[in-house]
Amino acid sequence: MAIEEEQSILFAERPEWADVTPLAQYENINPVAPIFYTNEYKDAADYFRGIVNAGEMSPRVLELTEKIIRMNPAHYSAWQYRYKTLMALKSPLDVELHLMDEIAVKYLKTYQVWHHRRLIVTQTRNPGPELAFIAKSLQADTKNYHTWSYRQWILAYFNDDELWDAELPFVEEMLENDLRNNSAWHHRFFVVFQAGVRKGDEDRDEVIRRELGFVKQSISVAPNNASAWNYLRGILDHNGTPYSDLQTFVNPYSVPHTLEETAEGVVDLENPLPSKESHLPAVAAIEFMADIYEKEGGDSLMKATELWKSLANEHDTIRKKYWEYRIREACQKVTT
Amino acid sequence: MAHPSPKRFPDDSYYTETSDIQAETETVLLKHLPADPNSLPSLQKNQHLQFLVRHLVQGFPSRYASQDASQPWLLYWTLQGLSVAGVGLDPDNKQRAIDTILAWQHPDGGFSGGPGQAAHLLPTYGSICSLAIAGRPGPGGGWDQIDREKMYKFFMSLKQPDGSFLVAHHAEVDVRGTYCLLVSAYLLDLLTPELVEGTAAFIASCQTYEGGFSSASQPYFSPTSDGQPNLLESPRPSLGEAHGGYTFCSVASWVMLQPFLALQPPDVRRPTINYRTLVRWLTQMQGSESELGGFKGRTNKLVDGCYSWWVAGCFSLLASQGIGGGQGHDTRQSGSTTDDETWDDVDDSLWNRTALQQYILCAGQHPNGGLRDKPPKVADAYHTLYCLAGLSAAQHNVFPSPARRAELQHAWATSTDSPHHELRQTVFAEALSWTEEEGTSNVEGGHINRVNATHPLFNLTITHSEGIMAHFYHQTLPKRQRRG
Ligand SMILES: [Zn+2]
Repeated sequence: MAIEEEQSILFAERPEWADVTPLAQYENINPVAPIFYTNEYKDAADYFRGIVNAGEMSPRVLELTEKIIRMNPAHYSAWQYRYKTLMALKSPLDVELHLMDEIAVKYLKTYQVWHHRRLIVTQTRNPGPELAFIAKSLQADTKNYHTWSYRQWILAYFNDDELWDAELPFVEEMLENDLRNNSAWHHRFFVVFQAGVRKGDEDRDEVIRRELGFVKQSISVAPNNASAWNYLRGILDHNGTPYSDLQTFVNPYSVPHTLEETAEGVVDLENPLPSKESHLPAVAAIEFMADIYEKEGGDSLMKATELWKSLANEHDTIRKKYWEYRIREACQKVTT
Repeated sequence: MAHPSPKRFPDDSYYTETSDIQAETETVLLKHLPADPNSLPSLQKNQHLQFLVRHLVQGFPSRYASQDASQPWLLYWTLQGLSVAGVGLDPDNKQRAIDTILAWQHPDGGFSGGPGQAAHLLPTYGSICSLAIAGRPGPGGGWDQIDREKMYKFFMSLKQPDGSFLVAHHAEVDVRGTYCLLVSAYLLDLLTPELVEGTAAFIASCQTYEGGFSSASQPYFSPTSDGQPNLLESPRPSLGEAHGGYTFCSVASWVMLQPFLALQPPDVRRPTINYRTLVRWLTQMQGSESELGGFKGRTNKLVDGCYSWWVAGCFSLLASQGIGGGQGHDTRQSGSTTDDETWDDVDDSLWNRTALQQYILCAGQHPNGGLRDKPPKVADAYHTLYCLAGLSAAQHNVFPSPARRAELQHAWATSTDSPHHELRQTVFAEALSWTEEEGTSNVEGGHINRVNATHPLFNLTITHSEGIMAHFYHQTLPKRQRRG
């Protein structure tokens, strides 16, 4: 490939760059903490400073900035200058996006890769293909922070019902892959509760019922999944639902496996039981029950305190200080 | 075996990618537990210092080219790492550092990731904090060569209608930028109501249902009758899940915005954050015994040494807002020094300080010097600082002392008709009221493991914070009265 061959020739040795004065990074000072660059990197960076200094915005700037980005995708100034040059030249942005498809997959972890897409898509106003591209990228890195935030931005910024249509099935697929993927749980919360009422979700009571059903089912499969419990708390807090509404469901998770639980034939679809192989009691369930008792107040406060003590001394000893704080706080509320 | 084997992550016999790497990580970490639980490895200070000094004096190997746009950070991590370890620079290297930092100042204001790069809020923080450590007043000293006026203009040029800031022109909005801007404005006396109007509401909107904070939020607008867009209170969904790094930046920003919020007229509605879910999320981030008590940055992710600072560092910030324990005790306020012993064993903090020190000492140290994310990874400049700073947060209780605040306010010597006089005075007194509580440090593994206390808002030593702020606010600091 032509581009591979070119890569081995330094800008300093290319006649078509002879008119540019490369700028060394430091002049007249002996810097502390210098980086030992490769010749190839130093050469490109010197020419980049030269170009910026001259204010040149031309097609060859795109070549130079691409070269730098491929060696160091976190070089935000190269991205910034590339963007300004694209705009100045009125370059075809679909070509740019196509190039970015390849670069993004290579450098998923870099902020700038995703932000550049965002700038381009803001111009093209064609978010449609983005969701599929993001879904593909998430296969490679299922918890990539920037990729998920970019997806949320696409949905919120363009706010087009068609874009939102397949989000719930998408989340469910991600969670099916890994029920502990907290990024996917967060995305679910974003989709269902945080970005306005979507088409088909106008009946909010029905939405809450659906979400509670989903999260209960998830907890029954893996009762110690912190992501699912946080989602459950999120639903309840967001909608002002008392935790005590969930008492029947949560209670079996807060104690060791029992005989009744394993008895055949008793199936309460509203309140699925913990899977037989699960590790009980689940810390999150004990905490949840204690929250219910604390809210009840009165004599129940004793029950809450007992549960917090069991967390502090047996089930969640690393957080001993926190559980003791909860006991102090609850007692203070009573006495004041 | 002297150790009872710690309880492993309860996978519920339901295996996913998350539980698989969790189990692998625990297996590696548990190999780093000392055979005798009562004898922790010591902090290999000399080796870590060599690691830092080698970078400073000789330089960084070529793999650090990926951080070519973060040169101020590389220097800051190194200098602050040395400061936390208790080592200062000789005059020659100090001058070289100052000259290097000044080469990063952008002609239009702010600092850049390297010479000839664009100005950016993150390297601006790195540069100013490095100057707080290495610089001085006067010609060639770095402090008086900072173009504050242009920097302020640069800050204002990044401001968005929802109170947030771009991190650089044509770049993203991100709470890290807000944090870096606020620290810079605090240190250099640049804070104005105009600069931070709306910023607290932006920070509040980044809190997620989990309690921690995300990188940013999405503002929504509606057109008004005169055609101007009107910022909506909701929805302003957070972009991304709760995350340790963003949570530190958000909480520290929130605390730094309090002096501004306190001076707002009472009828102005103040944004709020949910401290209850925040405390819960922060404590949930501490890994269990099978993870040696290190901190993770997100739910269902792995522990990592850098969150020792980003997450554990939040607790003293919360304490300053009256949340949780560790509010500190003024030694002189009680009027007596006889009840020392009661303070010595009072650890009313919300988290396990001992366990975090264990993680850093056992798993965070690389045998060849420098600190790291977790074994078997290599050490790097970033993790070296944030492990050391986390160790510092675990050892010391640093709190805003009401007595010190009063002293600073009393000694304030600036004419009351200067612009934003009250705000500037409050910022100054609040920032420098942070004091290391005496007699309560909790150093695991013996005194040899002790590192210096660091300012919970800035991550500079208290001495460096005082030096640069006294200069830019033109104040003479009243002497700190030490006990006994
Ligand atoms: Zn890390």
